[in-house]
Amino acid sequence: MTAVLSPTSAVGFRAQITGASLWDLVQMECLSRSRQVVRVNGEGGVGYLYFADGRVVHAVTSKLMGETAALEILGWTNGLFQPCQRAWPATFTIETSCEGLILRLAKWRDEGASNLVAFPGRAVPSGLAGDGGAAVDQYEEIEIEEIYEEGEMPAPTNSDHPAPAAGVVRSELSGEFPVTMRLAPGGGILASKGADEDMAGVVAYAHRLGQLAGELLGLDPFVAMECTFKGGRLLLFEEENGETVALRPRTENNLQPLRDRLGL
Amino acid sequence: MAAELPTGLAAAVASSLATARAQMRASLVTLKDVYGITGSFVFARSGHLVARELPAMFDDAALSEAGSRLTRLQETFAAAGDQLEIAVLRFKEHKVYVKVLPAGALCIISSGGVNMPALKMAANLVGRRIAPMLDQVADDPTFADTAPAPSATTAEAAPSTGARPPALAPPGMRRFRGRTVG
Repeated sequence: MTAVLSPTSAVGFRAQITGASLWDLVQMECLSRSRQVVRVNGEGGVGYLYFADGRVVHAVTSKLMGETAALEILGWTNGLFQPCQRAWPATFTIETSCEGLILRLAKWRDEGASNLVAFPGRAVPSGLAGDGGAAVDQYEEIEIEEIYEEGEMPAPTNSDHPAPAAGVVRSELSGEFPVTMRLAPGGGILASKGADEDMAGVVAYAHRLGQLAGELLGLDPFVAMECTFKGGRLLLFEEENGETVALRPRTENNLQPLRDRLGL
Repeated sequence: MAAELPTGLAAAVASSLATARAQMRASLVTLKDVYGITGSFVFARSGHLVARELPAMFDDAALSEAGSRLTRLQETFAAAGDQLEIAVLRFKEHKVYVKVLPAGALCIISSGGVNMPALKMAANLVGRRIAPMLDQVADDPTFADTAPAPSATTAEAAPSTGARPPALAPPGMRRFRGRTVG
């Protein structure tokens, strides 16, 4: 994020910072307790953050307003942060403190990360509906089935060295898997669909046994496992971030594209 | 346990087990006809190693330990109501193919790029062939006291070389231009 900082008055320094995170810049603005509007040009478009009394009091993007807009803007990772002149709203739409906003953002990110499937274009978690009168209803949760289309899967990686990247694999998973589960490295259930806690135990232990079998045989780190049962199949793989994903496909599903990607 | 049997009977049992193991090993050798297969081993439901056809770098104790974990893997799924038939484990550069048999499992170690349809077919055939022998061995109370016959390919390279290991002919047979002949 590149920032061009300038005080509201004509007195003071002008600064240009490159490589700062947006959140750093927001905290600087909060600490300075300045009253100003900052235009943020990010990968999601243009947004405006209104600072006053040491916190963000209002935010707006092309589609959102209030805290949801602030969270969307704060979720951007690249862009330009520049003070600007802009009309102030009649009333402030954000009551949350700077620290509270940090927590909301962290929670939002966790919720986003816990989805087995990335939701392209999903700007705001549904749980935030109603905050500050934002137009959250435009961002209804997209069902997994809707974003998956046959043939959209990216080209397989080198099958000799499969290493499923979290985001990539996430976006490939489809509604063709009636049972899905994502476990944290510590075994916590991050997300689950059609699965219960018992399955978490099975998946976590099976994963560990697979790792152990590989270690005992002197083979390389565990990547994935496909199990064929009398009445179904189970795919289990470890992502780069250490999370474990388990999928139960429908019987009629063609798993070859996923097998190719996982090197199975 | 074997010591409790009369000497003659114990010797006969040991001989029978050795024969069954040799026959199993002969079957395991044929798996190496599939390009990319490093070797294989068979373990009983208890996890004990029954037969092996692997380079010497895989020691028996490690194979037994791995067999024990893979047995537990099967039991884990069984506890959740899933009867495991086949498991394919992918490691960075290798695969482990586990075919569950009535009295144990056949475990095949291969390179990551192994021809899977060929491996599956070979595993099916070998599994079918060794299943009765594995039943016989696993049911014998003395089998855990006897070690499997050493591999004839102890000088072979580590699995990571990716080179095709030399295919050996089963006992009593010869190989000609890569094919087993009588």
